[in-house]
Amino acid sequence: MAPRLPARCWRQLQPTSLSRPPLSHTLPLGLALPPAARLLSHTTPRGVKYGWSTQSPKARPRRFNQPSMGLPEPTTGPAAALKRRERTTPKRTGVLAIKKGMTAFMGRSGTRIPCTVLQLDRVQIVANKTRAQHGYWAVQVGLGERQPDNVGAPMLGFFEARGMAPKRDMAEFKVRDQTGLLPVGVQLLPDWFHIGQWVDVRANSRGMGFAGGMKRHGFSGQEASHGNSLNHRTIGTVGPSQGSGSRVLPGKKMPGRMGGQQATIQNLPVLMVDNELGIVVVKGNIPGPKGCTVKIQDAVKKSPPPQEFIDETRRVLDERFPDAQERLSEARKKHMELKEARKQGRISEILKAGVTGEDVPEAMENARG
Amino acid sequence: APLARQPLGCLKAGLRQARQQRLFRRQLATAATKIRSRTGPGLGPLPEPNFYKIQDPKTGKIRTAFAVYNPPSVIKDAHSSDIKPKPVTEFVDGKPVFRLPWTNRNTTMPKVLTAPVTDPLPALHAAQIERLDPTGARTAMFAKTKQGVRAGDILTVTHRRGGEPFSGVCLSIRRAGIDTAILLRNHLSKVGVEMWFKIYNRNVAGIELVKRRLKRARRARLTFMRQPKHDMGSVSEIVHDWRASRKVFTS
Repeated sequence: MAPRLPARCWRQLQPTSLSRPPLSHTLPLGLALPPAARLLSHTTPRGVKYGWSTQSPKARPRRFNQPSMGLPEPTTGPAAALKRRERTTPKRTGVLAIKKGMTAFMGRSGTRIPCTVLQLDRVQIVANKTRAQHGYWAVQVGLGERQPDNVGAPMLGFFEARGMAPKRDMAEFKVRDQTGLLPVGVQLLPDWFHIGQWVDVRANSRGMGFAGGMKRHGFSGQEASHGNSLNHRTIGTVGPSQGSGSRVLPGKKMPGRMGGQQATIQNLPVLMVDNELGIVVVKGNIPGPKGCTVKIQDAVKKSPPPQEFIDETRRVLDERFPDAQERLSEARKKHMELKEARKQGRISEILKAGVTGEDVPEAMENARG
Repeated sequence: APLARQPLGCLKAGLRQARQQRLFRRQLATAATKIRSRTGPGLGPLPEPNFYKIQDPKTGKIRTAFAVYNPPSVIKDAHSSDIKPKPVTEFVDGKPVFRLPWTNRNTTMPKVLTAPVTDPLPALHAAQIERLDPTGARTAMFAKTKQGVRAGDILTVTHRRGGEPFSGVCLSIRRAGIDTAILLRNHLSKVGVEMWFKIYNRNVAGIELVKRRLKRARRARLTFMRQPKHDMGSVSEIVHDWRASRKVFTS
C-alpha cells in the first residue's frame, strides 16, 4: 500500500480564506485542502475507523442474482419468508380487547355453551408497518387510555403526532399485504367480526408464581405413607449418574416460575357481537385473568372470512370515519410546530399564548366531578 | 402455467376456496341485505389540545410540554342493564328472517371514542333471563323474598324429555344470573342422590314447590343434611301426599 506521508508534505497546500476545502471527514483529522487538491488522486482513507476497503460504498453490488435474470427465486431471505407464511397470515387486522368474564348461553333445545365476554375499549389504529420500511406488513392497534403522568415524553410525542390520547395497551397484528393496512386513527368496533366466524385469541396466561414439579410438569409425586419422609411432592431423581455425564442434563424439568406467558387459543367461534356494549363473545375459555388485554384475530387455520365481508367491513370504516386522513395531517402539522418550539425552548411562550383549555390534571378532575 | 400442469396442492386450495365462497353466496330466498351503514360522524375535528407540562421539580420551570388530545374521560358509569343487547335473529310473523351470516350483528354506531360500560355481564344475564323466563315466574320463585324458595324446601323438577320427575330437599341455591342453579337431595332405593339443576335451562320444564321447611334454616347451605343424623331420607312420601292433595276435585 502507499506509504503514509508525513504532515509537512501537506502544509504547502494549506487552504486560503476564500476557497472551500473539500469535506474533511474523508481526510485525516485536522487537514483541509483547497480545490486544487482535487486534481490529486484521492483514495478513501483506510483504518479501523473507516474500514479497510478502498472501494466506494456505492460500488458494492446491492441487488444480485435476481429472478429477472432468469435465475430461480431464492428460498431464503425476507421475501421468501413472507411468501412462505402468506397462507397462514390473516388478511386483515385484529383487535385488542379486555377479558371481562365468563358466562353461558342457554340454547333453545337445552344446550349450554360456556363463553367468554371480551370488551373493546376505544380501539384505534395507531400505526402501520410496511414491507418497504419495516420488512413486513402489520397494523398497530391501541386500546384504552392512560394518564399522561404515566406516559414518558417520547410516547407523549408519538400520540401527539397522531392526534390521539395515550393508549393503555398497543399491539401489532401482521397482515398479508398492503390491502390489510388501515387509516391511522379509525376506531374498530365489535362488528369487525361476525357471528359464526373463527378467531384466534392470544393473552398472557395467569401467573402461577414459583410452581413445583407436580403443578408445572405434571409429575406424580411420591407416596403419602409407607415410610416416605418429607418428600411427598418433590421431583425425586434428576437423572442418571455417570452415564449421562455426571451432571444434570440441560433442560431438566424442575420447579420454577410458571404462567404469565402468551398463550394462544385457536379456532374459537364468535357467538355474539354487540356494538353498544362493545363486546365480542367467544365460545370457551381464554388465558389470563379478568381485566387482562387480549388479542383477537381471524383464525389462521381456517379460511379467511369471505372477501365480500372483508370489503364490507373496510367500506364501513371509511364511511364511519371519512375525516381520518385529514385529521391525521392536521395533527402532524401541529406536532411539527410544537416539536420545533420544544427544540428552540419556546414551549413556555406557546403555553402562555395559545392555551385555551385547562391543564390535563384539572380537566380530569372536572370530568370526574 | 395451465391448470393441468400446476401441482395438485394449488388445485385443492383453489377448489376449497371456491367451495367456501359458495357457502356465502346469496340465496334466492331473500334479497341481500346490506348492513345498516350510514356516513358516520367521524372522529370530528381535531379538538383544542390540553397541554401536559413536564416541570423541573426544584425550580418549577417548564422543561417541555406535549399536547394531549381527548384527555382521559371519566364517564359516570351507566347502569349496564339500561343497554340491552340486540337480539341476534330477527323474527317476522314468527319465522326467522334469513340474513347473510355477517349481518346478524348489532351494527349501530355508539359514540365515537367513549369508554363502554364498565361491566357488560349484568346486561347479558338480564337479556338471556328475559328470553328464557319471559313471564318472570321462575325468577320470582327463586328471588330472595319471603315468598321465594329457600334452602330446606322440598321441590320437584320435571325434565323436558319426560321421565320420572326428580324431587328432593333443596340444599343450596347458587345465584349466578343465567347460571342460577339449585341442589336437590333425595334417597332413591335407600341411596342418597344429589342433583344440580340450572333453573333457566330449557331442559328444566317445571319446578314445583312441594313443601316448605317448617322453620327458616339458619344457614344458606344445608350440607349437614348429608349426615345420617340430619338426613331427611326419601321425600317420595311427602311428594306423593302433595300430589294426592292437588288432585282433589271440588264441586
